[in-house]
Amino acid sequence: MADVLSNYRTGDAFDEMIDGEGSVRPSYQAVYSTLSRSTSDDLRVIAESLANNYTQAGVTFDVDGVERPFPLDLVPRVIASPEWEIIEAGVAQRVKALEAFLSDIYSDARVITDGVIPSQLVTSSTRFHRAVWGIQPSNGVRIHVAGVDLIRNPAGDVRVLEDNVRVPSGVSYVMTNRNAMITAMPGAFANQRIRPVAGYPTRLLTALRKAAPPGVDDPTVVVLTPGVFNPAYFEHTLLARTMGVELVEGRDLECRRGKVFMRTTAGLQRVDVIYRRVDDDFLDPVHFRSDSMLGVPGLVNAVRTGGVTLANAIGNGVADDKLIYTYVPDLIKYYLREEAIIANVDTWRLEDDEAREEVLDRLEELVVKPVDGSGGKGIVIGPRATKSELDALRLRVIEDPRGWIAQPVVQLSTVPTLIEDCLLPRHVDLRPFAVNNGEDIWVLPGGLTRVALPEGELVVNSSQGGGSKDTWVLSPPSHRSSGRGPTEHTEDADDHVEPHTDVPLTVAEIPAAVMPKLAETQRQQQANQQQSNQQQANQQQSNQRSRGC
Amino acid sequence: MLSRIAESMFWIGRYVERAEDTARLLQTHLRMLIEDSAAAEVDACRNLLALMSVDHVDDPTLIEVLRVLGYDPSEPTSIYFSYASARDNARRAREVIPLDLWECVNTTWHQLPTTPFGTTGAHVFLNWARERGAMFGGIARGIMVRDDGWEFMSLGRSLEQVDMTSRLVASASLAHGGRQWPAVLRGCGGHDAFLRTYRGLYTDREAAEFLIVDERFPRSIMHGLIAAADSLHRVARNNMVTARHAETALRSLGQLRAQLQYADLDDLLDNLNREMSKVQDVMAEATITVSTSYFAAADSTAWTTEGTR
Repeated sequence: MADVLSNYRTGDAFDEMIDGEGSVRPSYQAVYSTLSRSTSDDLRVIAESLANNYTQAGVTFDVDGVERPFPLDLVPRVIASPEWEIIEAGVAQRVKALEAFLSDIYSDARVITDGVIPSQLVTSSTRFHRAVWGIQPSNGVRIHVAGVDLIRNPAGDVRVLEDNVRVPSGVSYVMTNRNAMITAMPGAFANQRIRPVAGYPTRLLTALRKAAPPGVDDPTVVVLTPGVFNPAYFEHTLLARTMGVELVEGRDLECRRGKVFMRTTAGLQRVDVIYRRVDDDFLDPVHFRSDSMLGVPGLVNAVRTGGVTLANAIGNGVADDKLIYTYVPDLIKYYLREEAIIANVDTWRLEDDEAREEVLDRLEELVVKPVDGSGGKGIVIGPRATKSELDALRLRVIEDPRGWIAQPVVQLSTVPTLIEDCLLPRHVDLRPFAVNNGEDIWVLPGGLTRVALPEGELVVNSSQGGGSKDTWVLSPPSHRSSGRGPTEHTEDADDHVEPHTDVPLTVAEIPAAVMPKLAETQRQQQANQQQSNQQQANQQQSNQRSRGC
Repeated sequence: MLSRIAESMFWIGRYVERAEDTARLLQTHLRMLIEDSAAAEVDACRNLLALMSVDHVDDPTLIEVLRVLGYDPSEPTSIYFSYASARDNARRAREVIPLDLWECVNTTWHQLPTTPFGTTGAHVFLNWARERGAMFGGIARGIMVRDDGWEFMSLGRSLEQVDMTSRLVASASLAHGGRQWPAVLRGCGGHDAFLRTYRGLYTDREAAEFLIVDERFPRSIMHGLIAAADSLHRVARNNMVTARHAETALRSLGQLRAQLQYADLDDLLDNLNREMSKVQDVMAEATITVSTSYFAAADSTAWTTEGTR
């Protein structure tokens, strides 16, 4: 073994590169041979190139309001083709079932009358919005974009950790990671076909256009961002840029008679489809939080009267509630008459007295999560929590059992990751992205692999300081030589001509030293939003100068 | 184009131009002060700050002037503030700005000085500030599509350039005697061209004429007025629905242009300060008109009508 890998010892977790016997898995042969030919100096050069690339390009994720380059590790996460086919099918199946569930729950709720889930489960979800009950989306799609978080347990099985069908973020890094890797580590790409990811914006735009209100032939699509202070603002600009559509803020939009318009220099211009990256609660101060400065008054009415399509739909949060999650295998059975292709992680529902008692007894060995959390917020990992943290948690669980679920601590699989000068195993998860255009559900071949950088750390969220890896889905070896059906070839050709996402590669974007002064409430809205926050009515003010022009 | 984005583009143009012109003005006066060491520093500095509409500094020294107009991020007249604000606006309009231009603005912001400097460091900084402005202009001219974004940015630049040239011209009267004009001309980078045009024999009158009404010189007030009007015309043409929005601003620009064109130059020279203040007032007025017609902020009534329905 070469230097850089000489200290590589796999632990209890499943390792993506090295199998139980210590041999390199077939999917990792090419990466392994590139790594084993490298010295630690080589790796440092590549790592620096990747880091500079991101600092300069301004590929950032804001943590606590500071723009930071999103850490990208140089060892990719490789997924062999047969395994990807399972993931792809499993993710699509899940999205399909959740679509059926949402459609049902916001109309007759047969799933409740048929006794599959208790009605209280839905009505007690804080993300179930009666305001959108009875609304039929124009092409039936509510989940235009989904991100399903997957992990691999020590036995090597892939499991679903959670669903994200509100405003899943991270897909921009899938595209920028690939671009950066091609520049920094061209050698590792040799002799294998890695499926391209740059087609995402085209797929998304197509799905959004298909979701336009009836009668609109050439819909105007916009991306709605909370603003420049949102952690994912970079992603919003990238998506708008690569789809060639306007990036708007709430204050750019106006509702009139059930239609939505944006304010342009040529007057008001009709908007048909809004890919919104603002949370439900902030979308419309008339229906939701009246103090929201990020939304558009009247938006819900416009959706209700069919004047505009929102993607994703309002009220989707009921489907990715973590307690509903425990019922998803049942929902798949109920709506699709299929068994779940990818199983859930074992989960205790704490409203059940017996389960709660067991969990409270074993709190120090379990993971307890709030049902409506995201970004790793509020998660307590028993083995690593202090006694007082556990005591506090116990009280909160007893007080609000509906608000929590418990899971065993799963040792996520590991991938070699450059830590200082050595490659060491670090835990990863995977978030594949699915786009539903109403006819079929397309899963982006790849996804965001997040890696927890501290040793033994299991929380990988980027808002918790995690890093990422490029995710390589390998094409089947026979892909080019064997004559496959014409349809596959078309798709393949498509993938080939896809333009590379245009990511700036030269100039540093570093934390804003000069920020316009914001009202405190606005700042808090920004900070507390799920993946979003924003604001700024004060820009005009900041543009005024003392001498009065 | 989105009104908010148009507004950002307009201000990017203004701020970059302001940064560059402030550097020119500062450089000119540094030189004059050092050349003419007999001049009272505090008086000269006070006059200079007054010219830039700064009135909150008592008994300013040269060092104070460098802080207020140069490196202090909290002074709205400083070069630092201008470049930081340009970057802030560029970030808001990032999806419509070409990458090269964004990088130029971002790098400039990144390289802004973090520590105070004295007169020795000042020239390095001021040269840098001028070069960044020139680079921005060059990249923008080289790669930007001539759409509304370009027009609003050009409009901002032109209005700011007229405003700043008028301040530079007014500064020629800060001290008595004809010695000021060569320095002012140098500050605009037009000294040699001026000498060529007037064959080396000139008076204050010709210098003023060159800087105010010679439309061939790109930093003259006349040139800026014409460029601003051209941008407004094109904006109006591109946005037929709102074409009448440009009328008011076009009218005041045209009136000013006619006044200057047919002014008696001797009168102008005698009342240089007052006449140049008038120019600045018209620029401020045009900015307000353009803002209300094209960048109009949220219509507050929209809220109540939708909300109470």
